[in-house]
Formats: sequence, C-alpha cells, structure tokens
Amino acid sequence: MRKEVKQAIVGLIMVSPAFLLLLFTVVIPIIQSFVTSLGNGSGGYDLSRYQNLFTDKGLRSNILFTIKVTLLSCVLVLLVSYSLALYMRFSSGKLVELIRKSYMIPLFIPGVIATYGLMNLLGNNGWLARLLLPVGITLPRIIFDEKGIIIANLWFNIPFATMLLSSALASIPASVIESARDIGASKLRIFFRFIFPLSYKTFLVAVTFVFMGVIGSFTAPFLLGANSPQMLGVSMQQVFSVFQEREQAAAMAVFSFLLCSFLGFFYIRSMAKEDQLND
Amino acid sequence: MGWYFRALSKRRIIEFVLLTVFAVFFAGPLLNLAVLAFSDQWRYPDMLPQHWSLRWWSFVLGQDDIAKSIGLSFLIATIVTALSIVLCIPAAYAFARIRFPLKKVFLFSFLLTHAFPKMGLYVSIAVLFYQVGLMNTLLGVVLIHMINVLMFMTWIPTAAFRNVQAAQEESARDVGASPFRVFRSITLPLAMPGILVASVFTFLNSLDEAQGTFLVGIPDFKTMPIVMYSIISDFPSSAGAVFSIILTAPTLILLLAAQRLVSAEVLSSGFQVK
Repeated sequence: MRKEVKQAIVGLIMVSPAFLLLLFTVVIPIIQSFVTSLGNGSGGYDLSRYQNLFTDKGLRSNILFTIKVTLLSCVLVLLVSYSLALYMRFSSGKLVELIRKSYMIPLFIPGVIATYGLMNLLGNNGWLARLLLPVGITLPRIIFDEKGIIIANLWFNIPFATMLLSSALASIPASVIESARDIGASKLRIFFRFIFPLSYKTFLVAVTFVFMGVIGSFTAPFLLGANSPQMLGVSMQQVFSVFQEREQAAAMAVFSFLLCSFLGFFYIRSMAKEDQLND
Repeated sequence: MGWYFRALSKRRIIEFVLLTVFAVFFAGPLLNLAVLAFSDQWRYPDMLPQHWSLRWWSFVLGQDDIAKSIGLSFLIATIVTALSIVLCIPAAYAFARIRFPLKKVFLFSFLLTHAFPKMGLYVSIAVLFYQVGLMNTLLGVVLIHMINVLMFMTWIPTAAFRNVQAAQEESARDVGASPFRVFRSITLPLAMPGILVASVFTFLNSLDEAQGTFLVGIPDFKTMPIVMYSIISDFPSSAGAVFSIILTAPTLILLLAAQRLVSAEVLSSGFQVK
C-alpha cells in the first residue's frame, strides 16, 4: 500500500512540469477564450456571439466554406493516403523503395516555403501554366481560389496520413493476409475483412489529425485563398486584428474547437480502450 | 519505343503514370523554387529563365536582418528542444512505467494542443502574456514554440519507453543495479532512438513556427519564417526563392543525418497512444 502511494506521488511529480506548461500555455488560454466569447461587448454575458456565427451572412458563409473544404480535404487525403500506404505495403521493387524513402520529406518542409512554392508553381503564368502551354492546356484559376487551399491541404496532409497508415499496415502480420489468400479470398474481401478492421484505429487517428489540422490552418489559406469566403483561421485573424472584435474571434475559436472535440471524443474513446494504459 | 510500352503490362503503365503525377505534385513546388532562386530574368511564357545568375543570393545574404534571423532561429530552436526534453522526458517515463492517479486524463490532455485552433489559442495567450510581461521576450517566444511540440515530445518517448522490455530492466535490478543505474544504462539507451526523433521533429518544428512568433515576438524577435513573410511581400519572387532554400537547407541536412532513425513507426507514435 505505502509503496503504491509513493509511486503515485513520484508519477505526479514527474508529469507536473510538462502539465504545468500545458496548463499555462493551453488550458488557461482556452478557458479564457471561452469566457471572452460569452461577453456581449457591453459588460454582460450571453450567447449573442455564437448567434452571430449563424446569422451574420459573412461569418456563416465562412463557416460553411471551412466545413466544406475540411471535409473535402479529409476525404481526398485519406483516399490517396490509404491507396499509397497499401501500395507501399504490398508492392516491391526499386520504385517502391524510392517512395518509401522520400514520401515523408514534405512533413518536414516549412509550411511557408511549401505554400510559396505552390503559389509560384500553380499561379497565373506560373511554371505549370508555362509547361502546359505548348500542349495547349490552359489551367483554371487555382491560386486565390478554394482549389489552391485544397491542393495545399493535400500537399501537407497526404504524407502525414500515409505515414500513420503505413505504420498501421506494417503491423498487420503477413501471415494473416497470406492465409486468407490461400483459402481463396478475393482482394476486396481481404481488404474489408482483414486489412481495414486491423488498421481502423489508425484510420481514425489520421482522420482526427487531418481534420484538426485543416480546420485550424492559417498560413496556406492566408496566402492562397480568396478574399471571400475565407477559412475560419483567416477569418478569425481578420475579425480579431482588423475589426478588433475579440469576443467574436474567441467565439469562432471555441466553435471550431467544438467541431474538433466531436472527432476528438471518438479518438480518445478508441485510444483509451488500450489496456496497456490500465496497468 | 512502341514495343517497349506494349511489352509492359497495363498495370505497370498506370502505376508509372500515377507515380509520376505524385512526384510532380510533391516535388514540383520545391523544384520551382530551386529554379527561381538561380534565375535573373524569367519572362512569361518561357519554360526556363532567359538569364541565370546568383544575383539574388548575394542580395539576400547581404541583408543584415537575414543573417541575424538565421542565428536567432537556431538559438530559439536549440532552447526549445533542450527545454522540451527536460520537461517532457520525465513525464513520458512516468506515463510508460509508473502507476499514478488520473494518468489517462493527463496523457490525453496533451491532445488539446492540437484540437484548439492555433489562431484562437495565440490570441488568448497574447492577452495572458501581456498580463505577465512575456510579450516581446525570448521566453515568451520559446513558450509559444513549445505548444506545438508538447504532444509528440511526450507521446513519442512514452511509446519508446514502453517498448523497452521490462524483463531487461528487471534482470539488471536482480544483479544489484540501482534504479538510477538501470535507467541510465538500460532504459535510456534503448529508448534513445525515439527520443532523438522527437527532438529532431521539435527542432524543425521550432524553425518553422511563424504565426505565434509573429504575434508574441514582434518587434524584436524576427525569426526566419517571419522574415520570409516580409520577403514574400516586399521583394521579387527570386529573393523569396533564395531564402526558401536557405530556410529548407537545415531541415534537409538534419533529416539526412537522422535518416536511419526517422521511421513511420516511431513518428506515428507521436499521434496515438498504443
């Protein structure tokens, strides 16, 4: 008994420095944002800032736009990443080896740089437009348009999601798949009966982080997006620094946090089931 | 040529086309910057610059605040990495090895760093920093940078410590090694690859951070990405391209050095609890 108490104290002491930092730089600011968002500007507290989110035409279209871009990006990212991860898991050859070695590089490239590169490559009269000119293809407007934002999201998130998914696929024993093949299961069947269920958890992790990353993104939509509608991150910054409406910006932040918490709930529920934590 | 393609199976061709699209998609933007950085004049609609030169290199390297920003960025990244190691590694060890109350709550609370939109978080932090006098200070900027890395700097080492077999530690204990000795000569070396990957990731993340620095560090703390923002708006694209290469170089060098350690398995442990 006494040993357990001692251990509990040691554990709490070891966790506390990191947790205090989290408390000071994340938890308290979140609570503060929440309190701010309830202010109605004239000293009282109510939900008027949240009402604005749905009644103000500009804000509402920004929110709908953000949700649309986020969902579209998530679907595309996961579709491509899953295919790529499957391809890397079940193919071999020099080409695959090369992809395995290089696909993670974009994860480490500074966001500003990649966005700047995309701007130069895909912009009007950009490099891609020049390269496609002799073939007679004219590009639609990509930069300063939602296409640009989605492309940037793909650029940043596909390597990330692929990294997560391929680590999950790597942990599926080859014997499971081989024995399924031996009894004559089709590829699709193997995928739905074995591969997807065994990697489902990581799939959820990938969805959660891609969703949270895209919905709160700033740099890419700021540099690549149109003036309206805007992504929430950009709109939030504008409401805060141009219109000086702190309460409204805070309400937007809390609202997007609520959207994230919805996914976060499933994420934590699936993670918390892990028995290793219970020992 | 024709016979060659016919000899290939349809599947191979589709594979090849898809992978080319992929390579162009990911390498294109970076390649474009590399070409831009060495171009002097590049008018539409030419595919390659009419004149090549190193003019923008000497221009960018000659700017006073650019050299300063490189030094500052590396200083901050070093402090951030060192401080994160000191704060997060003990927590990671506790999560992996010690039983204590509310463990899951503490562990998952780090997810908050990614769930609240950064812009909203920074704005509130700025208010808080004003009150305690951390605006425009080195410590303020360092703290802002640490927010991004807290989660994986804790979770990756947690997974690394967990992967160390308890049996190995126990047998060392059995032959009479003290708990500290066991940690230093068994647990820590075995968990080192994970800790190193987390540190490299932290260092690079700090070099890359722009939004928070912009809000908290203005006007004195102009790190590389901050300077990049102003170069994008004030100078021709070649200057931006040159600076992009300077900003990306340390990333690539560090990645190359840590190539053997950085694997999907280790990195992905920073985003999930296994």
